[in-house]
Amino acid sequence: MSKVMSKIKINDTVRINLFKYGFSLIVTLLLGAVLIIAQGENPATAAAVIFDGAFGSLTKFGNTLRWMAPNLMLGIAAAVAFKAGVSNLGIEGQVAWGGFVAAVLGYSVQLPPLLHVLLCVVAAGISGLLYVLLPAIMRLFFNINEFITTLMLNFIAAILTEYLVDLILSGTVQYSTATSTPNVLDSAIIPIIIPGTSVSASLLIALAVALLLFFVYKYTIVGYELKQVGENLRFAKTGGVKVVKSFLMIFLISGFIAGACGGIEVLGTYRKFNTGFAANMGWDGILVARIAESNPIAVIFVAFVWGALQAGSLQMERVTELNRFTVLCIKMIFVLMVSINYEWLFNTIRYAWIKRRNRKEAMAGGLGNS
Amino acid sequence: MGWEILKMTVYASTLGITFRSAVPLLYGSLGGCFNQTSGCNNIAYECVMLFGALFGVIGSFYTGNPWIGALCAMGIGILVALIFGMFTIVFHSNSIVVGVALNSGAWAMTTLLMVSLFGSRGSFTDPGIISFSRLNTSLIDKIPYLGSVLGQNVLPVYLAYAMIAVSYIVMFKTPFGLRIRGVGQNEVAAETAGISAVKYRMISLVMMGAFVGLSGCCLSLGGLSMFSENMTAGRGFLCVASMIVGGGNPIKIALVALLFAYSDAMSQILTTLGLNGLLVSTIPYIAVIVVLLISGIKSFKGTADLEG
Repeated sequence: MSKVMSKIKINDTVRINLFKYGFSLIVTLLLGAVLIIAQGENPATAAAVIFDGAFGSLTKFGNTLRWMAPNLMLGIAAAVAFKAGVSNLGIEGQVAWGGFVAAVLGYSVQLPPLLHVLLCVVAAGISGLLYVLLPAIMRLFFNINEFITTLMLNFIAAILTEYLVDLILSGTVQYSTATSTPNVLDSAIIPIIIPGTSVSASLLIALAVALLLFFVYKYTIVGYELKQVGENLRFAKTGGVKVVKSFLMIFLISGFIAGACGGIEVLGTYRKFNTGFAANMGWDGILVARIAESNPIAVIFVAFVWGALQAGSLQMERVTELNRFTVLCIKMIFVLMVSINYEWLFNTIRYAWIKRRNRKEAMAGGLGNS
Repeated sequence: MGWEILKMTVYASTLGITFRSAVPLLYGSLGGCFNQTSGCNNIAYECVMLFGALFGVIGSFYTGNPWIGALCAMGIGILVALIFGMFTIVFHSNSIVVGVALNSGAWAMTTLLMVSLFGSRGSFTDPGIISFSRLNTSLIDKIPYLGSVLGQNVLPVYLAYAMIAVSYIVMFKTPFGLRIRGVGQNEVAAETAGISAVKYRMISLVMMGAFVGLSGCCLSLGGLSMFSENMTAGRGFLCVASMIVGGGNPIKIALVALLFAYSDAMSQILTTLGLNGLLVSTIPYIAVIVVLLISGIKSFKGTADLEG
């Protein structure tokens, strides 16, 4: 009996998920088509151009993979946090610090190639980790909601990195218009792995992080505990999980990955720190994680689609009259549709339906008795 | 030099800029504090404000009347707020995720609208956009120091300061405010007393939409007469921060908003003197964290209650 029950339950989850993504996709495509028609273009043409921009040639496919790397890394950073109900909105600030630290170490320290990259990325990760430490302490010991503190730290990070860049370049605190650090040394550059494209080994690092977390969550006790505090806190507590320690780890892992992502972006793509390069990157990570329901493997796929859309939208702007912001709007519509709590919605509708049926039956029964 | 900078902190022009640039923050945070108090975890202020700024310009451009622009801004604000409400209150979405999506989407959406309506990228200026006209404040202007701080402003500026008192009264002296606070503090108890949480959250959400839309319109029609891509530049988040630090008390919220505006004014003045005003502009953000930390230390009980 219980076996049958569990089978039905799984089927229900699958069905709800199928409905959720299918329904969201249809609504998004319809609204997206309306958006494109409103700008006087043919939706089919636009879709073809986006597809061509993302997969049309090796270089274009390279662009897709290039954009996939940061989305994947930040998607994982956000997934770790949001899985446990931690709203780390400070990913942007952690990325900024990671990028800045990696850029400074990249041009000022001399080391053999591989070691140099390793040092920069780890230092970037640690700076991200330190930057999330204060919100974590404030949340865990003083009960102050992390979303506002991490948000404030984003602004502080953006301003302070800009200030430090000014300081590095001019050596004084005079206002300067320059906006980037010197280029990193050759030994600190993360190499390109597919010649003729902009795909660097950053992608491999990001994939490794995603797979590592997948295995940690699936096969280790620590991973099980980290998952449990998010899914059922009371159960975890009763089971003897040290909740504070688990939450602290969640904060720190999320911050470390976000900081490291800033590092690999700077070393693999830009090769220097531009002020404001982290703007809006963190939000993309949060949205990717949300669509993937914080599942590391799903994050890989969503990040791939996100990268393809990003590469395709740039191509679309070059070829057609459409603005690349159109694709951003379409992404947001999809996120909004996926964010709906379908399980709750179904249960509510089903409950209402059963209640109505019962009332009908009761009424019919009542009539029969009289 | 140090003396110069010290003197600058009380310059009439510094305080004048503060007085003006606090206005969008005041409208946004005072309009939103009811929603915040009622228990909505709403961070979509950036989105509503940006839409308000654009539609203020649209309304003013097509009718030549800034007040119609303000009405348009309030209307679109309410619409966006209702979309937020539809997802979070009716469909039970995660409010942080919806807020993030709306904030990110607003930049794209408003830029798209600007391009397709006016055909200009980056920013849109036109003599056809009529801003609010300055009031004739000859009576205030005659006061020596205060005159140059407070005088020569548009009507919405003065209304924003009146709103501090009004929202304090509404929050603490009316049944409406009591119910809003009740819903926020204990939803179940409020429901037992016959107060519908959904209804009061929706009402406060509409208020939030109207006033945050208006605050966006104060940005675009409060003297500049323009709309530019992402012109709110984080002000919506500052509103959220003021509300959280103020903890539902409109007077405290207004003080925090004024602090934000003051440090913004200081960094502007420092930049005009050729100094780097960047460090000064971090002060309000640091202040938010410090204030929250102090309030947290006061209620320190070992580790936090991690039930919710």
